[in-house]
Amino acid sequence: MNPRLLLLLLTFAATGVRAEGGFLGTLKSWVGGIPGLGGGKQVPVEAAKKTMTRIRVAPFTGGTGTSAQAALRKELLASREFFVAGPEEKVDFTLEGFSVGGRVTGKLRDARGKELFQRTYAAPGLDENLKAFADDVIFTITGRPGLATSRIVFVSDRSGRRQIYVCNAEGGEVSQVTHDRHGAVSPSLSPDSSLVAFTTYRSGFPVVSLLDLHAGWERGITDTSGTSFGAAFSPDGSHLAVVMSFIGNPEIFVSDLNTNTASCVSDSIGAPSSPSWHPDGRQIVFSNDDGRGPKLQIVEVPQKEGQSTRLFHWRTGYHFCTDPEWSPDGRHIAFTTRKNGEWAVAIKPYPNGGAKLLQSGGAQHPSWSPNGHFLTYVQHGGLFVHDVSSGSRRQLLKGFGRISEPRWMR
Amino acid sequence: MTLSTPILGTKPGCSILDARSSIQHLASSILLLVLSSCASIPFLAPPAKETVVYALGPREGYTSPLNTNLKPACPALEFGSEGFRLDASHEHALRKVISTLGSNKKPRLVIAGYAPPELPQDHARALSERRAQAVRQRLIELGLDSANLQTIGFGNDFSPSGPSSGVVVIYQQ
Repeated sequence: MNPRLLLLLLTFAATGVRAEGGFLGTLKSWVGGIPGLGGGKQVPVEAAKKTMTRIRVAPFTGGTGTSAQAALRKELLASREFFVAGPEEKVDFTLEGFSVGGRVTGKLRDARGKELFQRTYAAPGLDENLKAFADDVIFTITGRPGLATSRIVFVSDRSGRRQIYVCNAEGGEVSQVTHDRHGAVSPSLSPDSSLVAFTTYRSGFPVVSLLDLHAGWERGITDTSGTSFGAAFSPDGSHLAVVMSFIGNPEIFVSDLNTNTASCVSDSIGAPSSPSWHPDGRQIVFSNDDGRGPKLQIVEVPQKEGQSTRLFHWRTGYHFCTDPEWSPDGRHIAFTTRKNGEWAVAIKPYPNGGAKLLQSGGAQHPSWSPNGHFLTYVQHGGLFVHDVSSGSRRQLLKGFGRISEPRWMR
Repeated sequence: MTLSTPILGTKPGCSILDARSSIQHLASSILLLVLSSCASIPFLAPPAKETVVYALGPREGYTSPLNTNLKPACPALEFGSEGFRLDASHEHALRKVISTLGSNKKPRLVIAGYAPPELPQDHARALSERRAQAVRQRLIELGLDSANLQTIGFGNDFSPSGPSSGVVVIYQQ
């Protein structure tokens, strides 16, 4: 073996890298962004120690405790959210627990030893329980959801009609959630992925409906005349932004799911579509066609009745812009545009900055991962996931009919 | 706009006559400014024609073209490119619909928009609905009762029969 290569491998073995496997490791290795697994930037351990939150996974007791500890450590390393410290190092948080027969009880403590939470995970498999535990740890510490338990909702025509499906972030555990007469389209997942809002053609007319994926109940949201579509959950899941046209013109409405009331927030007199919320819940970006091609507009959402709000055009530098979606940190907006006659996915910093073409060649309908590191989109009927920082990508689902309108859980 | 006459007040040391003259000058300058800055004088110009947008009535009793074969009231109205403005051929077709339905005072129509398959799906729904609403608005202006006209924007979720997918089809109930 080349001595320089051997030295390099030994260096990796001695110092480690921030990510080495687990769910995100799989995802990152697919798209090529995991250090040591397939390219991307490597962060030296010493630098990571100084800049990142430090966490320790203490030994787990119980029959499957050793496996649980090792798998949890891998999940957390792969999440790129923490520096996973060794037993002697000073840390900000400590994880401990026990695991018997795949069942996991985990506890998170801060540096002073205060217990932040303790939960038991009793799903059939150890992996599933550890993913849920890791995501809870990530959310508790960072405030951002983890990806291991996140879901992607999309439309596929594989059954002969357009119906709605859900899969996990690896493209696995695919399940069909609608079996509607004439089909169902335009889906959106609630922040906790328990509800899906979508447009159903069950009655022959397009109306927005809400389906509880766990309990199975469904209720109509917009049984109004005209067309209803483009439902998007607010960041706290209490409101839906939706396009309705019963007033004689399609406009963006915000519907309160608790009171079943809706108010019009746009004044487009055009063809508005695809509303998406800013993570603070105070603004909505949408596409509007005033007869000269769709462009992006932003409207402020009134926080109380009678409050005046602004509606303004947001320039991207492109003439045709649809399907906008705000990133989870509110700093970028991804959208579909057209380049050389083909669809392309672009992102642009908000409020200012130059737009960057992320993927051309027919890519469209981008949607951010909950942590903002990835985008999913469709290209020629296939579902892709794209690492925004490295630019690498991977096809999540292939040969699953023609896939469209993917939305990642927010 | 630039003014050729001074509009500021009197200089120190000017007589009362000079001051009066300056005030007259100022008044005439202001009048000139007001008149020249207006493209048209609002109270003299005829009021602009307002477009009244008619809300859709209840959908109860209407049948979707997805549920049964509905008879089109006229050939499909084609929209060649993007946009939702009606052109002369649409106007001609809609006037023909009005004359054909002449004996029926209250025809019930479902106006359905369809969009080409290559368009992004949500935009296609919005555009097709907007086109259907434009057709509905014109039919109301031509004399049909707004309560009897329903719209649907199918986008590219469904294809109409015919050679083009960027169309609006008026179905009779």
